[in-house]
Amino acid sequence: MVHPLVSIRDLKLEASTNRGVAHILRGISLEIGRGRILGIVGESGSGKSSLAQTMLSFLPANVSGVSGEIVFDGVDLLKLRPSEVQSYRGRRIAKIFQDPMTALNPVFTVATHLVDVIRRREPGLPRKEALRQAEAALTSVGIADARLRLEAYPHQLSGGMRQRVMIAMALLVRPDLLIADEPTTALDATVEAQIVDLLKSLRQELSGSIVFISHHLGLVAELCDDLCVMYGGTVVESGLVADVLVRPRHPYTRALLACEIEDDAEGRLVSIPGEVQDPVAPMTGCIFAPRCPHVVEACRVTVPALRPSDSGRAACIRFEEIA
Amino acid sequence: MLRYFFSRLVTTVLIVFGAMLLLFLLTAVVPGDPAVTLLGPQASPELVKRFVSEMGLDQPIHVRLWRFFANVLSGNLGVDVVSGRSVWSLVLNVLPDTLILTFSAILLAVVTGVPLGIYAATHRGSLLDNVLAFVSVAFIAVPSFVIAIFLLLIFSIWLDWLPVLGAGRSGDFWDAARRLILPTLSIAATWIGFIARLVRTSMLEVLNEPYIRTSRAYGLSERMVTYKYALKNACIPTIAVLGLGLGRLLGNAVFVEIVFARPGLGRLIYGAISERNFPVVQGAVLVVVVLFVLINLVVDLSYSALDPRIRRDGAGGSPV
Repeated sequence: MVHPLVSIRDLKLEASTNRGVAHILRGISLEIGRGRILGIVGESGSGKSSLAQTMLSFLPANVSGVSGEIVFDGVDLLKLRPSEVQSYRGRRIAKIFQDPMTALNPVFTVATHLVDVIRRREPGLPRKEALRQAEAALTSVGIADARLRLEAYPHQLSGGMRQRVMIAMALLVRPDLLIADEPTTALDATVEAQIVDLLKSLRQELSGSIVFISHHLGLVAELCDDLCVMYGGTVVESGLVADVLVRPRHPYTRALLACEIEDDAEGRLVSIPGEVQDPVAPMTGCIFAPRCPHVVEACRVTVPALRPSDSGRAACIRFEEIA
Repeated sequence: MLRYFFSRLVTTVLIVFGAMLLLFLLTAVVPGDPAVTLLGPQASPELVKRFVSEMGLDQPIHVRLWRFFANVLSGNLGVDVVSGRSVWSLVLNVLPDTLILTFSAILLAVVTGVPLGIYAATHRGSLLDNVLAFVSVAFIAVPSFVIAIFLLLIFSIWLDWLPVLGAGRSGDFWDAARRLILPTLSIAATWIGFIARLVRTSMLEVLNEPYIRTSRAYGLSERMVTYKYALKNACIPTIAVLGLGLGRLLGNAVFVEIVFARPGLGRLIYGAISERNFPVVQGAVLVVVVLFVLINLVVDLSYSALDPRIRRDGAGGSPV
């Protein structure tokens, strides 16, 4: 079997807050296969964006502890010095950010953004040639009048347009790993669909793997090969998208799916009762136990491990019984 | 860009007119009869009367106001009542000295203040950052003329390294430059700290922006992120505050000119005020006002050159 591009083992991230130590990631283990698209879904506060940031070594200032490993193509990124991590960014790993309105520098043109990314790969490339590549990248992300748009400043572009520019930047890197952190959350629904279609059609050009972070299961179903469901800083279920969405094994995944597709008998929106686990509280049992409809006493005392199920892996001690 | 320029130009003209009106009213209400002050208490009533009518002081106030505006607009700033020379020539005579002093001070402040501010922002909490915080606040709090007196004492009197007073013999570049050092330093001392604080604050703010994270995520070198992507953004608020501060800088120059007995607009105005030599006061202050407004215009335009969001039109057209 080929080694996965990224394998994350028991990744823990702690941050000090004025209420105590917050456990942002409580031991994440997952793999990103070569050339595959992994969807990471979860509610706000599930730690999915923190995971993405940790993979690029962008840690918030209040982080007090990181442990575990993030092995990228045989190298543990967490053991690298900052300058070594920097050599990965923009060459082998690229990222698309959540809010395209603030992710581009307001006082530089689109051309400057793109040319600097190109020159990061090929220093000393003549500006004319870099501009030609930038124009081609804009065209390939579906921007008409690419030549004209190169001279535009970010504020002259719409949100969807800016996200296309961000994707063009990522394309120019041709990264082994592209992290798309909720790239469509800040966009209108119609634009969101266009961006997802674009990412799908660019799969050929982006030969590497993609991590697509979203809270929207529908988008993940459309775009991704693999799925990883996060809750409260843990992975609760993972597997092939096709399997997990058809046969969800973890109660949280089921609840999430129910929210996505069903209304209840009276036509009201379904929601998951209760609140996300307080990150400051220590984990004594299953992290989802306080909100789980199938909870038994055993759930509250033992932390369930991710174990094989018929649709992948799930972290629930009762998934056979409740299936 | 052109439309923006013209609208700024119109405001500029209005500001100058407002300043002229204010200037006229101030000289009209300031206590002390100019005739008595200039001619002395022994002057005969006839002489006083002639003087008053020569200066037009016997006319009703609206006529005097009209004359003032009409004269200025036709390029005539009036005549010095003491020497009989035109105010314009008096001003032109000393203007270069003030401009050289002001610009060398601002240049020194920018070339040292900006790098210090960037260093403090990128090495937050370092020794230099802390020292700079203390020293800059200390220098901001002490007026330029006090610094001027101390510099004089230390470098001219005790150490005897630099000449004490004056602007230097005309035509002797090195002499003039040596005499420029201390006045420039006394004005710049306050401003180095001020600019460094300003740049530090704006830099820290900008370095936290999401677009800086984008640049870092694409592996751009920290030097490029700091000096290209962050600095241009940080310059915008810095330049805005600097533009307003230039008025204060001209004010500082006035006092420093007096301390070092340098010729300049400051000394000209100071002398004219104590003599109640109103045409000179009005003319010279007006030149200062125009200078200040022009500097602000330039600042505003460079501001819009830096920040494309201020420009009304440009490449790329409207948002799509």
